[in-house]
Amino acid sequence: MTGAVPDPAVLSASPEEWKRVHIISPLVRGWIAIAALIFFGGRDWFEGLLTGEPGGFRGEGVGNLPLAIAIVVGVVLLIAAGFFLSWYYTRYQVTEEHVRVNSGVVFRQHRQARLDRVQAIDVVQPFLARLFGLAELKFDVADAGESAVRLSFLKLGEAQKLRATILARAAGVVVDPEHPQDIPEAPEREVLALTPARVLGAAALSGNTVAVVLGLIGVVVFAFALETGALLAAFVPILIGVVSGYWNVLNTGFNFRAAISPDGIRIRYGLLDTRTQTVPPGRVQAVGVVQSPLWRLKGWYKVTVNVAGYGASASGEAQARATLLPVGTLDEVLQVIALVLPDPGTDSPVDVFSAGLSGRDSVAGFITTPRRARLIAPLAWRRNGVAVTDTALLARSGAWWRQVAVVPHERTQSLALHQGPLARRFGVADLILHTTPGPVSPRVRQIPEADAWRLFSEEAGRAADARRRSGPEQWMRPVPAQEQMEETDAAADAPVMPAPPSYLEGPDHERS
Amino acid sequence: MRREPIDPAGIEWTRVSPKYLRVRLVGWAIGSLIFLLIFSVPLVLLLTGVLPRFPFLLAWLLPAVVVIFAGWRGLLLPRQVRAIGYAERNEDLLVRQGIFFQRTMVVPYGRMQYVDVAVGPIERALGLCTLKLHTASPGTNAEIPGLPSSEGARLREQLSARGEAKLAGL
Repeated sequence: MTGAVPDPAVLSASPEEWKRVHIISPLVRGWIAIAALIFFGGRDWFEGLLTGEPGGFRGEGVGNLPLAIAIVVGVVLLIAAGFFLSWYYTRYQVTEEHVRVNSGVVFRQHRQARLDRVQAIDVVQPFLARLFGLAELKFDVADAGESAVRLSFLKLGEAQKLRATILARAAGVVVDPEHPQDIPEAPEREVLALTPARVLGAAALSGNTVAVVLGLIGVVVFAFALETGALLAAFVPILIGVVSGYWNVLNTGFNFRAAISPDGIRIRYGLLDTRTQTVPPGRVQAVGVVQSPLWRLKGWYKVTVNVAGYGASASGEAQARATLLPVGTLDEVLQVIALVLPDPGTDSPVDVFSAGLSGRDSVAGFITTPRRARLIAPLAWRRNGVAVTDTALLARSGAWWRQVAVVPHERTQSLALHQGPLARRFGVADLILHTTPGPVSPRVRQIPEADAWRLFSEEAGRAADARRRSGPEQWMRPVPAQEQMEETDAAADAPVMPAPPSYLEGPDHERS
Repeated sequence: MRREPIDPAGIEWTRVSPKYLRVRLVGWAIGSLIFLLIFSVPLVLLLTGVLPRFPFLLAWLLPAVVVIFAGWRGLLLPRQVRAIGYAERNEDLLVRQGIFFQRTMVVPYGRMQYVDVAVGPIERALGLCTLKLHTASPGTNAEIPGLPSSEGARLREQLSARGEAKLAGL
């Protein structure tokens, strides 16, 4: 690349061609505005018809009908021109090292992101785009959560091909110089899929339901006590919120499938809007497993992750993106954790992680809140705990809402020890692990001072060691240490499909 | 200074400049004055006869509580400033603060994304500065206030150099 100046004229001369998104994209993106326009304009006109008055121009007579038509045509042309310009000025380019997008008609924006900085890549199909066979490609780098690059919309096949290209280049796969365009999509193997029944059941037993039942009881009691139905009306907005909450769970949990490929973990989900997320190896910063009280009846858990590009927004979409498994049994949770953390760093991963998910006391090497400090954590003191394996730290907490956070050592950003006056009185301290923004915030609660202190100093060293050992940023790049001579041979091979890692097939694990 | 239970052993903490106490005192004085003014409003209204029905006791109690609270905080300030410390180790930087709510933080050099040096008007007058470290996590709010300007500049250069040498990805 010679064109460092972001000037389209210079850049278009580069070997990597500039492309445009699909021509009907603005229409798919702006359909809400159009629908609103048609609705409001159409309503006025329709009402005008019914009342016998010419639409929108009351009292000016029928003579203005041509003017009305001219205005409508003018507006349509204006919108079409705007769409055309926005399409014409949006162009993208994928080079060996960067992906670039230029957009904007009046305020131009040139955006460039380095491929090897990719944290996650999504192919999204909103409902309308799905009808047209289009898809949006989102490319995340490690910033506060805004997708670095959004290409909306491309043909689905094209988007998938582009994703394969970007991932292959980000992975450092050396392509065949004779056919640089031939980049095979990395093969994938499905690890688990959720049935609709499970998703419905999970929604029915979610915390949402508890709130609804309590709210309903309250309203009914009040309605009887005050002998008035007025309060029932107040329940309507709450009901809308609850319904949208359920809808969110269904829409994002439906058709959920997780797969493993050399390019990382790939998950798909969605009822009307569908989304395929790919998280390359080593991009998951922390894993959290939570279990709400009602889910305990069925033994279900939810798995969320912190990925640097996803950010910490509380919107439904952001939460869905950070969900690695909306609802799963113990075995499924272990499977998913095994994808993120292929090497658990312990001989008995099943025991350790089960103890983390549902255990109490110091089973499987957990350090818990000492008995002397049970007054400051009356419910959770047997549950609070921490375990350290060779590759990760598990922080367990919560008696009712059980949760456990798993942080790979090499992903720890910084650590802090906190101790308040009450904790000092009982000789305990909290250890906080700082990770990138996301739903998981690992905190080891109320463990004995001495242990906290030992963990604190050891963890800092362990994290440094793990970082030195950790794999390269470009995960498919051949390791240069050995076989320098045969590198080209090996690199030309298509990516090999690995067997999905699992904790269950260990040497001495017979699960009942 | 006495070693607190959660301080790692064998660490020589570098304390911040004692002049930083003055920065904190100015902030404390202004804050306390504003609170005192706000909570004295009922008393003033009572004494000037605008609100003659306002409970006499409460009117005097509000400013009194503010004065006691501010005095208590003022007494703590010297100890709080003395409790701030940092230590440069081979792989990471340790920062500690607090007397009642103690916090000790370790930030590996390879994790630092950038280092800020901020100087406020009072700090500038005293020749001090505040150093702030940022990692990819918003939880890392490691701040070393009250550094002499020269020490701040040295530390910033030192941290940047070490960060570069040990730079790791996310």
